[in-house]
Amino acid sequence: MQIDDGKTTDALQMKILLAALPKESATDPTGQQLAQLINRIANKKVPVNSFSRIWTLGSLQAKVTLGYFAYWLRSRFADADERQRLRSEAHLAAALQLFGTMGYMRGAVMKIGQLLANLPEVVPEEFAEVLSALHFEAPPMHFALVREVFLDEFGREPEEVFAFFDRQAFAAASLGQVHRARLKSGEEVAVKIQYPGIARTIKADLRNLRLLLQPLCLTEDWQNTLDKLADIERMLLMETDYDQEASFGKQARVLFTDADRVVVPRVYDEYSTKRVLTTEYLRGCHLDDFLAGNPSQEERDHFTTLLTVATFRLYYRLHWFLADPHPGNFIFMEDGRLGMIDFGCTRAMTDEEWLLICKLERANLERDEACLNRVIAKACLFDDPEEMEPERLEILRSGLNWNMEPWLKDGLFDFGEREFFMRGIESFMEMTRKRYTRGSPLYLWSNRFIFGGRAVCYRLKGRCEFRKIHQQESAACLHPAPEQ
Amino acid sequence: MRISEQAKQENRARILEKGAELFIAKGYEECTTRDIATAAGLAAGTLFNYFPSKETLAMTMVSEAFKMGREDFMRRRTGEEDLPEDLFLFIASGLRRLRPLRPFIGPVLERSLSPFPRKTVCPEGEAARQEHLDAVQEIIASHGFTQAPDYVAVTMYWSLYLGILAFWANDDSPNQEATQALVDYSIRMFVQVISGTGGVTGEANAD
Repeated sequence: MQIDDGKTTDALQMKILLAALPKESATDPTGQQLAQLINRIANKKVPVNSFSRIWTLGSLQAKVTLGYFAYWLRSRFADADERQRLRSEAHLAAALQLFGTMGYMRGAVMKIGQLLANLPEVVPEEFAEVLSALHFEAPPMHFALVREVFLDEFGREPEEVFAFFDRQAFAAASLGQVHRARLKSGEEVAVKIQYPGIARTIKADLRNLRLLLQPLCLTEDWQNTLDKLADIERMLLMETDYDQEASFGKQARVLFTDADRVVVPRVYDEYSTKRVLTTEYLRGCHLDDFLAGNPSQEERDHFTTLLTVATFRLYYRLHWFLADPHPGNFIFMEDGRLGMIDFGCTRAMTDEEWLLICKLERANLERDEACLNRVIAKACLFDDPEEMEPERLEILRSGLNWNMEPWLKDGLFDFGEREFFMRGIESFMEMTRKRYTRGSPLYLWSNRFIFGGRAVCYRLKGRCEFRKIHQQESAACLHPAPEQ
Repeated sequence: MRISEQAKQENRARILEKGAELFIAKGYEECTTRDIATAAGLAAGTLFNYFPSKETLAMTMVSEAFKMGREDFMRRRTGEEDLPEDLFLFIASGLRRLRPLRPFIGPVLERSLSPFPRKTVCPEGEAARQEHLDAVQEIIASHGFTQAPDYVAVTMYWSLYLGILAFWANDDSPNQEATQALVDYSIRMFVQVISGTGGVTGEANAD
């Protein structure tokens, strides 16, 4: 057991905490009040589940994260009357304690804190918006645990199922980990294995998250926040079903021919179950390693083109958003092909959602202002554009314009241009700052798809003939948008 | 009438087999030794030549499962495991062998392995406990610990293990996956306690 001089440590911690916490200029200019609240909460012991054993609320990093949360949650009821505010404050303190019980989402929640600390001027007004953009990780499994999963799923040990199975995982996945293996028939494969009982942990986390956000229940968009959290939960739980992911992978795979230079790895059904997914192993590297090799502009453009073709094809043929387009899901193959490896977080649009999105696209391309406003209002859950504050409409339109900019430009579009990328981020930030985030939960995923995809292309510093690709791919659309 | 050793073994195996079937079908409490003897085609009194009580009969099933679990563990062990992984493999191998008995195991374990003071201690239960702890001791020793864990550490381990068994017997998650997570967590905690460092190799404890 560690013994230290509690007083000195406390004073020092408080000092660092104060420096790191956000300040409210009117009510708490020194941050003292917030620091005390956080310290009070952090010193209470909260029982954690097995996932959160590494996490302690006592760490300074955790306290600062908590501080940003408290600050953010409080700002939501700053305008309430005194009695209501006191009640909310008490509720806030109780709710924040739950923060320490997050298991699966612990990492994500910590990252939100880091994000807020790096961008102190930004107060994200919609927790769900940020949450949906983060990547989750399950705790690592030792090999003995992997073997138990295999015995339960296949009735055999990994070494019996495969000709070779690497004891060490080579990658972490959102719900487990990935091991290299070789089939008895000789094929190299990647085997993704799910951590036992993760679905239960996700459900518990989301339940705690709803309680954590309860202080927001008086705000006008509370129901919308709940709807979005429900959509996040549905997507996360869908990711726990590898049968579903295998099915997504197979549907995607048949859309690409050799000439496309895009590969979706083959699924090996006889080695896959709900908790184990075996796919072809694609030889290549991820974005960071690709960039470390200092690729030529031509190579950068090549992969940007492939990324654009691949995502447009899934979008138009299957009406999918690849809702988790983080760099780890793309393989830059040695022979110049692009591999797409993870379909766990795929958001398939309903027909209704698809028709609305087609209308939006068409109104934009045809510059039909009145129609555009009507569709935006509908997507934001208003009956009519007249019901929307003019500023809300304007900010949403400016975000949409940014989104559609590459669609309207002939020739090469440069996604590596910093000014363009930052403009998109700023427009999104303004929307969240002004709390204009009400809308169908679908837009959580479409935003993640657009920003995630563009962030990859921005880091690639790549260009492509975006408009031309769009025209080619949309021509093969399954259901063209109906007339007005 | 004298019967051959082979016939004895067959009778014993048949009693165990029918006993397990009946315990699952009727429940441990509701099932009598007479039911089992009848199902095994023996006179009621003959059964007692093999097993002096229903409790002994049931605990024998458990002990045999534990024994097979230990054999599985020895066979599955690769030598590359660190201590938490080794202990996990040991416990998981035992639980897997116990799985067929799961529907009726609760009351059996409660009677035979209860750590509370009792008038009569079940000898099979006591033997099973000792064998399990010996195996754990061997595993710990193979990871560089030169001293056997003291009675506190052993008691702590056994309490954790009984807790795992109890949880497992009630675990309704698919393939008792919640238990797998619990075993993982419990073992890491125990190894941290005996290592004093959270280290997993035991080097800190070697002379």
